[in-house]
Amino acid sequence: MPYGYHGRILHVNLNDSSYQIEEPSENFYRTYVGGGGLGAYYLLKDLKPGTDPLGADNILVVALSVVTGAPLSGFSRYTIAAKSPLTGGFAETEAGGYFGPELKFSGYDAIVIKGKSPKPVYLWIKDGKVEIRDAAAVWGLENGDALDRIREEVNEPKARVASIGPAGERMVLVSNVMNECGHANGRTGMGAVMGSKNLKAIACRGDSKKLEFADPDKVKELVSWHSQRIKEHQPNINFSKFGTPMFVMGLNAAGILPTKNFKEGVFEGAEKIGVPGLEKILKRAGTCYRCAVGCKRVVEMQTPYDINPRYGGPEYECLAAFGSFCGIDDIGAVAKANEMCNRYGLDVIGAGAIIAFAMECFEENILTEADNDGRKVLFGDTEGMLDLVNKINTRQGLGDILAQGVKRAANKIGNGADRFAFTIKGQEIPMHDPRGKTGVALSYALSPTGADHVETPHDGTFAGDGVNFVKPLGILDPVDPVSFDEAKVRFFKLGQLSWSMNNLLGICNFVAAPFLALKYEKIEEAVRAITGWETNLWEIMRATERSEVMMRVFNNREGFGPEDDKLFRRLHEPLPDGPSKGLRIDEQDLKKAIQLYYDMMGWDSAGKPTRGKLYDLNLEWLAEAQ
Amino acid sequence: MGKQIRLELQATLKRFLPAACEDYPIECGIRVRDLLEQLGIAEYEVNLVFINGVPTNLDSTLQGGEKVALYPPLGGG
Repeated sequence: MPYGYHGRILHVNLNDSSYQIEEPSENFYRTYVGGGGLGAYYLLKDLKPGTDPLGADNILVVALSVVTGAPLSGFSRYTIAAKSPLTGGFAETEAGGYFGPELKFSGYDAIVIKGKSPKPVYLWIKDGKVEIRDAAAVWGLENGDALDRIREEVNEPKARVASIGPAGERMVLVSNVMNECGHANGRTGMGAVMGSKNLKAIACRGDSKKLEFADPDKVKELVSWHSQRIKEHQPNINFSKFGTPMFVMGLNAAGILPTKNFKEGVFEGAEKIGVPGLEKILKRAGTCYRCAVGCKRVVEMQTPYDINPRYGGPEYECLAAFGSFCGIDDIGAVAKANEMCNRYGLDVIGAGAIIAFAMECFEENILTEADNDGRKVLFGDTEGMLDLVNKINTRQGLGDILAQGVKRAANKIGNGADRFAFTIKGQEIPMHDPRGKTGVALSYALSPTGADHVETPHDGTFAGDGVNFVKPLGILDPVDPVSFDEAKVRFFKLGQLSWSMNNLLGICNFVAAPFLALKYEKIEEAVRAITGWETNLWEIMRATERSEVMMRVFNNREGFGPEDDKLFRRLHEPLPDGPSKGLRIDEQDLKKAIQLYYDMMGWDSAGKPTRGKLYDLNLEWLAEAQ
Repeated sequence: MGKQIRLELQATLKRFLPAACEDYPIECGIRVRDLLEQLGIAEYEVNLVFINGVPTNLDSTLQGGEKVALYPPLGGG
């Protein structure tokens, strides 16, 4: 019998509310493992190229890994994958919280959802039993109300729920999937895909004691080791004490805090939206299933903004997206924007980036008062920003245009708006300026999901003695944060494997290697103790590369090519001021680096994994796919 | 008793680097945390602490003769 996982994958067809259970072999799990590996497998196998991402034929995969739900800190993450309505390419987005482990306890390792329900429904899974329930009374509700209502309907106050808000129902392209109001599968527009299928939510409940591990004593020992190291390892201490908001001040000091739609890298109001500002409205730390770190920040406010703490609080990405990126230094307004996004089911990065784009269009008189009910929304306009969050959710007025994402909105607005429209493969840009950390430039350009900031660990940590963290990967010399040479490409490629492994296994990047508490050898020990597999990092890393290659093949099959592996205008221009003044990404350097990356990966000059690479990775079934 | 350490401040922390960073004088037995206070660095500005290349934390004590490297938070998420 399998340990740590069930060997059971649920297939749901919403066209006729039917379902069946697949029971794949151990070899299947060793090959695809979890997360984006499972997602890419089902999308490549069953989704025809050219399928409309918001049509009934898109496939939504909710995937855990073979170790999800083990009681180690950070082993709680799960993936939602589909074809992205934002990019038209592969979509995967991960979230922590409690939903992933609960889905595992309920009896399944993944759910593959096809078709479109004729009316709104939600899935209810309890102890292996599956119900496809009428969502008439839930449709239209914000995420918190939907959570309460579903728990009431299924008569299970401890049910865990991943739901879409009204934004997903209206197929806003930057809509997300939220679990427990404060944990988001944020990126790539998965809320819109669920909305297009009339699927409001997935709710589940199971018994954690029924999930068996191959070597429970060893698992306990690893939990104890990991928890102790979390208390002693400074970056984990910092995550516990300050959370991701600590990055606001760090990046601002470096002159690479994305400010005003990437026009600048220094924000005067950084302290107000960073740790010192956030502490004024901090209620408590928040956490995910069995995590000893607790990096989340829960905030509360009564005036001037009424902020409900059940929706958590802003992470770094949100603080920058609605703060510096929109030129706003009012922590209350930024935290309110976060709460509204979590209520409505909007990606904070996408929504913030769209509003910053609109602000620059107003600054440049590309948009005028006439486009927005008589109001120009310039950088720094807090009320205008909050009003646009509402309008994107309801798709009213200018909001209807912005709800389609930056790329499509720029086309619709015209009048030169595309000069200020920054996306990669159609996905809005996260809150990191690659001009000061060039590994992130490669992350943005090469991620299969479009601009992604968690593709490879960020460069600066591995300068000087920091290189010791990545020596086990084969990166032996300190990393220069702003160089763009062969060593940087190698760093990117190996770092990408490392963080992609975390995604594949559903392990949080904030608890694990390269620079957080759980070292590589401990990850290996954990997989062995949980599954009982006689395995090692070599096999897990090969599965990781396999998942990367499958995602690339998916995009190639959809018509993506090297011309899509690029950045955008502003990053090729020098930062105008501050400590990183003058830094820019040279377009030719970038192109050369990308070609070298293809070479290192065993891909041809068109970015296609070679036949040899596919056979090497047991992917011969994809030999004719590109 | 007075001793020296070799102090290495990375990235944005370089602005706090004292002139005598190669032979920075310390009181034997002080914690890295106390060193931050002397240098005027806020706790949330330091994310990584290395003593002789080994990652550790702000409560580690210094005896003199060590190389101490400090890094600011530079990632994201």
